[in-house]
Amino acid sequence: MLGVKNIHKSFGSNQVLKGIDFQVDEGEVVAIIGSSGSGKTTLLRCMAFLEQADDGIFTFDDLSKDIRTISKKEIKEIRMKMAFVFQSFNLFRNMTALQNVMEGLTVARKVSKEEAKKRSLEMLEKVGMLDRADYYPDQLSGGQQQRVAIARALATNPEVILFDEPTSALDPELTGEVLEVMIKLAKEGTTMVVVTHEMEFARNVANRVIFMENGIVVEEGPAEQILSDPKQEATRRFLKRILRKEEQD
Amino acid sequence: MFNFSARFIKIINLLINSFTKLLIPCLKMTIPLTVLSFFFGLLLAMILALVQVADIKGLKQFARFYVWIFRGTPLMLQLFIIFFGLPSFGINFNGFTSAVVAFSLNLAAYNSEIIRSAIQAVPIGQSEAGYMIGLNYFQIMTRIVLPQAARVAFPPLFSSLIGLTKDTSLASTATVVEMMSVAKRIAAVYYEPFWMYMEAGFIYLMICTILTKLQSFMEKKLEWKQPSDTKIKAETVTEG
Repeated sequence: MLGVKNIHKSFGSNQVLKGIDFQVDEGEVVAIIGSSGSGKTTLLRCMAFLEQADDGIFTFDDLSKDIRTISKKEIKEIRMKMAFVFQSFNLFRNMTALQNVMEGLTVARKVSKEEAKKRSLEMLEKVGMLDRADYYPDQLSGGQQQRVAIARALATNPEVILFDEPTSALDPELTGEVLEVMIKLAKEGTTMVVVTHEMEFARNVANRVIFMENGIVVEEGPAEQILSDPKQEATRRFLKRILRKEEQD
Repeated sequence: MFNFSARFIKIINLLINSFTKLLIPCLKMTIPLTVLSFFFGLLLAMILALVQVADIKGLKQFARFYVWIFRGTPLMLQLFIIFFGLPSFGINFNGFTSAVVAFSLNLAAYNSEIIRSAIQAVPIGQSEAGYMIGLNYFQIMTRIVLPQAARVAFPPLFSSLIGLTKDTSLASTATVVEMMSVAKRIAAVYYEPFWMYMEAGFIYLMICTILTKLQSFMEKKLEWKQPSDTKIKAETVTEG
């Protein structure tokens, strides 16, 4: 459904992605794990065209194109069928929670106000934020903001949602409420690509786990196999390090 | 010996009699000069800031050049060039028009920097989120970035309005009969410069006081919070 082939990206002399193949199928939940600096966020951002990749093939449904030659119009069409949840939420600060969720419907998709409002309220209810519909982002906690951001992503009924470390900016006690919402979405069959440090989430929710290091995919496979019985030494080292850290917390 | 009470009465009379004489040029010249100059100055500043933010080739360089020139030379000199200098090229503005042109052009340079920095202060993530829900550049600017930038720019823009109110006194050098020049004339006639300038200062101060009140009122209006909901229960657990 969404994928890239042999994707390359450098920031100056720093090569962040060194020829990565990635593919997510409909209804699948893929978790991308790896230490910071491994390129996982850059990969996600390249697939949303928030970063311009240097080389590679981009595929989305029937479209398959050189990532360098995709036009602005095509990018806009792709983004209409895609949603992105940011680490720092990025809710529009000048709009209420409800307006945030409605914006993509009324302005970008010309849905009528009434219809957009109805759908947006449904989405806010789904993430448990209905009672905060008229609050501004500054009046909400991080976990609440992220749940509104997820409602905003859901409102436009995207084919796939990309999550960029959705719980990393949250206090530990607030990650649960966001993960709960994401688990609910996964159960409903939402196609999701999740860059995450939450190993429990990856184990319990993801169909497939991809481990990245230094701009390459080191290992990928079913979640249970990668997390419990990794084949690569690098994966083993990473998991050991992150599990030890979790125990300390 | 100096007669104190007679002088006191004379000054009080002068202050009362001259008050309307100062207020009329204030209402007829000082305030219109301020309002017109600020309006045109803000309009031009918006354009100068937007061409820089949108990175429009050529226009961006022009905007930088413009700001360099108008911030780098004295306001009075700019007024003199327009009022005294341009007639030698056959361009004749009257005093009032010259003052509006000079103040607008000068203000635009300063205000464009305020607006530019306010736009750039809006986190890039706001635009990225806009693009991801399918908005285009124009929609992101008008619906997300500019409304947020307006709040950041508002206090410094208001400061520049207050500054302008007082700078309009420079128009007296271009034969505009505004409050300052009237105060000067009365002071010369009655030999009471201290009291006349104090009185004019008082009127300037009153205008700026009203503007300051207006500013805090409007700042509250610009807040993104419902007045009814000032206290929000955060669902955070205090760490023990």
